[in-house]
Amino acid sequence: MLLDFDRLGALRTLLSAIAILVGGFLLLPIVVIVLLSFGSSRYMQFPPPAWTLRWYTELFDDADWLVSFATSLEIAIAVAIVATLLGLMASFGLTRGRFPGRETLRALFLTPMVMPVVVLAVALYAFFLRLHLNGTFLGFVIAHVIIALPFAIISISNALEGFDKTIEDAAVLCGASQLEAKIRITLPAIQSGLFGAAIFSFLASWDEVVIAIFMASPDLQTLPVRIFSALRQDLSPVIAAVSTILVAMTMVLMAIAALLRKNKAT
Amino acid sequence: MTQPFLSIQGIEKSYGPIVAVQDVSLDIVKGEFITFLGPSGSGKSTTLYAIAGMLQPTRGDVLLNGRSLLQVPSNKRNIGMVFQRYTLFPHLSVAENVAFPLRVRRWPKAEIGVKVAAMLKLVRLEQMADRMPTQMSGGQQQRVALARALAYDPPILLMDEPLSALDKKLREELQIEIKRIHSETGVTILYVTHDQEEALRLSDRIALFNAGRIEQLGTGHDLYEKPGSRFVAGFIGNSNFLDGRLSWADQTITLPDGTAISSVALDKVAPHQHNVSIMIRSDHFRLHDGHEASPMFQGTVTGTTYLGTYTQISVMTRWGAPLSVQLPPENRVQKGQQITLTCAPSNLRAF
Repeated sequence: MLLDFDRLGALRTLLSAIAILVGGFLLLPIVVIVLLSFGSSRYMQFPPPAWTLRWYTELFDDADWLVSFATSLEIAIAVAIVATLLGLMASFGLTRGRFPGRETLRALFLTPMVMPVVVLAVALYAFFLRLHLNGTFLGFVIAHVIIALPFAIISISNALEGFDKTIEDAAVLCGASQLEAKIRITLPAIQSGLFGAAIFSFLASWDEVVIAIFMASPDLQTLPVRIFSALRQDLSPVIAAVSTILVAMTMVLMAIAALLRKNKAT
Repeated sequence: MTQPFLSIQGIEKSYGPIVAVQDVSLDIVKGEFITFLGPSGSGKSTTLYAIAGMLQPTRGDVLLNGRSLLQVPSNKRNIGMVFQRYTLFPHLSVAENVAFPLRVRRWPKAEIGVKVAAMLKLVRLEQMADRMPTQMSGGQQQRVALARALAYDPPILLMDEPLSALDKKLREELQIEIKRIHSETGVTILYVTHDQEEALRLSDRIALFNAGRIEQLGTGHDLYEKPGSRFVAGFIGNSNFLDGRLSWADQTITLPDGTAISSVALDKVAPHQHNVSIMIRSDHFRLHDGHEASPMFQGTVTGTTYLGTYTQISVMTRWGAPLSVQLPPENRVQKGQQITLTCAPSNLRAF
């Protein structure tokens, strides 16, 4: 390769330094929040004067936080299931189908990824007002499925493209019906793509805040929405504790996704 | 009236204006090993896929024991198929792969176990029942695919270039295995290949495909010794073609240098045709000893390659036509040497 990293000489050190600085810049705020959540200072003094689990205890004693946590979890799980199922069907059409406008359709499915979220949020809000879906669980799930679907489609389409259709044909000639061949042969073969789709769909909903703010009602608030409104009232270390849990769950899921990808590669 | 076991009747497949297969008809006897041979794009695989039900022919019919197969969906045709690409189910072990068609058919568990063991014994992979497909070589994977395709005792086994991804030695090894399995099971096999040697080695009969049609159907011997067209003569064996002019009056062909050659088989030449090609197999040539009255081809040696059982010699005739000649190694010829070649007149055919 023209720009072989090993042959850059002194530039190599410089590039490594820049990479570390950028990485640090991105990660440091998260590290600070995590440290603050274990710090004893109510005013989030940094570095923390002493360590405590007090804010976590307060968090788990507060029913409002727990309800939001459960809401977020329920919505994200529903979104993961729905987006994966829809993504699976769409991916079959987009990778196997032979029809005019297929590429246009694929681009259309991926637009929620590039469209400004706030535009989508306002549009959905106006639309859902007529359907009386604002502030409902269903409304939340539909809105989040829209932004999760591109991730699901990309993940499943990639897996499906890497799967030789002839293997499915072989299953059909072995006597399996088209549906049976897909369920017993194709789906297990692309399962890492399916899990990837479910994880990324879950995460797309789990940490989404813009649409959630528009969709939320006083009775139905996801965790990010609750953090956002709590921030406006008072700056409590409990928020740092909630954020830490949010970050931890995201990291665990990302790690699972990375493991799946590694397994697939070997 | 005896009914043919498998009857392919006027199959045609076109994609818009492009015709991939036209008017392919052929009757196959039970237990026969038939090979569809031909260059890529000649329609041999398309015909096979029509029998498998993986595509619908535009016209024609396929009858098995007198009943049409075309209305039967692929999975109900009860046909075995081995593909060119490796198609083992990646998440299932070897034994589970072979068991799959039986599970789909809801066989009792005990019978599946017995059958799977028998099939693995047939392809000599008893030791590998618990392996995963990724842990096996290409040749082993194709053996498992064969066991899977035969597990449900299909009346017909279709094989679409199953060995083309393997190296030469392994390919020959598996050809012997396929031949053995064919005689042990008595299954009717339709085999697609572009490798003439493979076709000659395996088949009872060969259907040579060209441009979507069967160019000639016959035993390997028929196709080699009595090619029905210039295409067949050129596709099977190493053939040379020399252009000449035919005089119907004295039944001789005159080569560009004036050499007259008589007693050439003319049955494939159209009446009134005067410009013809004489076909001579590379291995039918020998050196002319100067006495006999056999046909003579004179030329200059432009290259020699020693290949053990024979020496491959390139010869250029005086009028510039190249000849590919195989001579026994004891015939020492050198580059630049003028030689006179001959062959038995019965080996010559004109097209």
